[in-house]
Amino acid sequence: MTVLLWILAVLAVPTLLIVLWLAKVFLKEFFSPSPDDGTLAAETAQKLGLLPAERQNTDLAAPLPADWSAAVAAARAGDWEPAAELLAAIGRDWDRRSAVAYLLAESAAEEDAWLLAWEAARPGDPDAAVVRARSTVILAWELRGGKGAQYTTREQFDGFHRTLASARDEIARAAELNPDDPTPYIAEIWVALGLGYPNAEMDKLWSEITTRAPHHYEAHFSALQYWCAKWRGSERLAFEFAERAAADAPLGSLLTAMPLIAHFEHDESEDAAADNTPEMLARVEAALADVAAADPSHPRLPELRHLLAFYLHLQDRNEAALEQFKLVDGHVNALPWRYRGDVAGYYCQVRNTVAHAVAGTD
Amino acid sequence: MGATLRALRALVLLLGFYLLSLGLLAALIGLDVLVFTWGHGPLTVKVGFITVLLAIPVVRGMLMLRTPKGDDGAGIQVTEADEPRLWALVRELAAEAGTRAPDRILLTGDVNAAVSEDPRLLGLLPGRRRLFLGVPLLTGLTEAQLRSVLAHEYGHFTGGDTRLSALVVRGRVQIGRVIGQFHAAADDKVAADRARQERASAKRIAKGKKAKQIDTTGVGATYRTMARIYTAYGKLYLRASLSTARGQEYAADLTAARIAGRDATASALREIPVLSASHDFYIDSYATLGLQARMLPPRGEFFGGFGRLLSAREAELVKLRSGLPEEPAGPYDSHPPIAERVRRIEALPADGRTDEAKDSALSLLTDPARTLAALEDAVLVDELLSYPRAADWQELLDASMAAGLSATQTPLHRALAGYTGQPATLPALLDVIDEGRLWRLAEQLPLSEEAAAAKGRAFREFVRPGLHRSLRTMVLAEFSSRSLLHWEFSWTRPATVRLPGWGSETEDDGPEAALEAAVDAALADHPDTTALRALLPPAVQNA
Repeated sequence: MTVLLWILAVLAVPTLLIVLWLAKVFLKEFFSPSPDDGTLAAETAQKLGLLPAERQNTDLAAPLPADWSAAVAAARAGDWEPAAELLAAIGRDWDRRSAVAYLLAESAAEEDAWLLAWEAARPGDPDAAVVRARSTVILAWELRGGKGAQYTTREQFDGFHRTLASARDEIARAAELNPDDPTPYIAEIWVALGLGYPNAEMDKLWSEITTRAPHHYEAHFSALQYWCAKWRGSERLAFEFAERAAADAPLGSLLTAMPLIAHFEHDESEDAAADNTPEMLARVEAALADVAAADPSHPRLPELRHLLAFYLHLQDRNEAALEQFKLVDGHVNALPWRYRGDVAGYYCQVRNTVAHAVAGTD
Repeated sequence: MGATLRALRALVLLLGFYLLSLGLLAALIGLDVLVFTWGHGPLTVKVGFITVLLAIPVVRGMLMLRTPKGDDGAGIQVTEADEPRLWALVRELAAEAGTRAPDRILLTGDVNAAVSEDPRLLGLLPGRRRLFLGVPLLTGLTEAQLRSVLAHEYGHFTGGDTRLSALVVRGRVQIGRVIGQFHAAADDKVAADRARQERASAKRIAKGKKAKQIDTTGVGATYRTMARIYTAYGKLYLRASLSTARGQEYAADLTAARIAGRDATASALREIPVLSASHDFYIDSYATLGLQARMLPPRGEFFGGFGRLLSAREAELVKLRSGLPEEPAGPYDSHPPIAERVRRIEALPADGRTDEAKDSALSLLTDPARTLAALEDAVLVDELLSYPRAADWQELLDASMAAGLSATQTPLHRALAGYTGQPATLPALLDVIDEGRLWRLAEQLPLSEEAAAAKGRAFREFVRPGLHRSLRTMVLAEFSSRSLLHWEFSWTRPATVRLPGWGSETEDDGPEAALEAAVDAALADHPDTTALRALLPPAVQNA
């Protein structure tokens, strides 16, 4: 019996040692896990001074100029005058006017007391009118919600259509008060999307815009949405529109983004083969030249940089991609990230992979 | 299949029912014998008891030899002296179809025509024949179409369908009754068991124990199993008799086409589903319009208005006639789909009888107005007949709308009562709006998930349509309670409201448009009730 106990005791010692070792490894891993690829990539990105996902701004594609954010903040606080001054100062710079009108309208779509005060103080002000028209269109899309048609209720669709229909009068009024401004017609493109204007109506609307501003970025972006297969066009119509816009535009207008967006909207492939065709390589090249020639303060420039960073990465030009990432890091509300639920997470994942790949090749 | 063969099959199927019952009884007795031979004590008693219980519905089903006499239904019986022309037509058609004319004619209040016969000796001897003829059917059909409908019914007699159908019907009824008895017995058992469990459960609670969940699944399963056996046989029975029944319909249609003409038969077939749907609509929307105001249409109009509706909506009916039901009414319906019947009739060679007897079949009656009035007395329940009569349809509409409006409780009424703790009135609502608390009040409305999640302008947009409807109703009710509202009666359109001051304005600048604008203003983001108050009767304005 004693012998048996001795044998057991001898066997128990190595078993105990193994258990202790396993426990140590487990505890170590538990308290300070060894970094995996993702963490390593994130560290690489952080070393380059790039921000983690939680510090990315998901409302904007780029920081706003100081006077813009001041005007929006004042409007939210109920003071319309800085907004009025800003739009007056911008004057006939249509790209900027449309962008500022959109920002102010976003705020007015939530609460419009400040806008009502502006309208009451200056009846017939074309700037207030254009913000009013845009805000109603934004409100309509908010009522609809961002879900697919089968997840959108009757009540949401009714509110959407009713509000879009009421926006048409406001759009007409804004256009009448400032006949040279393309912005009201750009707002109407989103009415066209929602109410399903026939293509002929859209063509008419488009000629109103191009006679006023032939190479307006937001106008082209919005119209391209209309021509996409998911709205009122088709893949062929969207590419036709995008290629023509890019070909006709002068360097620096940023319209080389359109073919990239058309590709992005209709590409359902799983791998990067479709993104490496000769056409796509040429499109990215053209966009790089466009970006280089553009006014560095163009309000839409960061949007194209985001898109370029994505496609440069897919074309294995990670160093060039990283260059674009560095220029836009911190604000991520842009294509291609914007369509994902976790916008910042998706952006950071791709950016970190790029940073890691660049560091690996050094 | 000839009549003799059909008779034979009906007989076999009916005998099958008795055979099935006898088989089940034999099985039950066999079980008893087994238990009494080998079992002992309480088990024997229990099994014996259960088998007797199960045997009762089976025996009762076998003994129910008489087919239940169908209720004649409400109607007025008309003699040859009352309606000589109708009787002449009925006799003439019977002669042409080669069968006996009915002994009685009953005018009823539905869209239907049927001939019934009470056969004697299982249908071996002819019995008394009755013709049921719906007055709304007479209203909607031309004389030629009515001839076709009657010829179709006689066609069943010529084919010998009805006499044999006595056997078929007997089998169907008997199986149905046995199934019903088993289910009823099972339901009783479940109810008794539930009561017993509830008593037990109450006792457990009284003793401080947790009550057991009451569960009655499984109770009455034996009864349900027996019912299932009969249901299976019933399905077989129906399926066997169904193709015959449909074949008989086609044959009767051919008889109708021969006697009444191809076109009249096809158009009658098209007309009947349309009349049936129109009559349902008429009863719901017109004849019973005054019920909530406890009022009836003028005498004779309860059924008489149907004719006016039909002539006013002729254009609509043309559209309805072109679309025919392609499906049979139910899996066991004995009639083939109307579309198929019409196709078969229209495929017959033309017989040149297109323009016969285009007058309404109602004009066959000696005094249609008197019949329409008498029919109300025969068909409507006494409670309805005691209601006062409106002078005309317009008065009926006004009374009905006023009664409806005064009783209406919109969601806004409930929200307002909940918010203020006071009875919901229009002046109280206008005060809440003027105090700038409309959107606080709106939060008490029933909201969809999306509306509840929305804020600011989006929230207001979501609730505004409902608020608009409710407020408009409240304003109309206010006018109505002061007898300032008028409704425009129409046989072709839904009733339209006419506000005080309505003249010959167009839709855009009348008081109706002013009301819409005033309601919109009162519900705007920055509400303004001035326009609405100005529209209202003085008593409300300054409240």
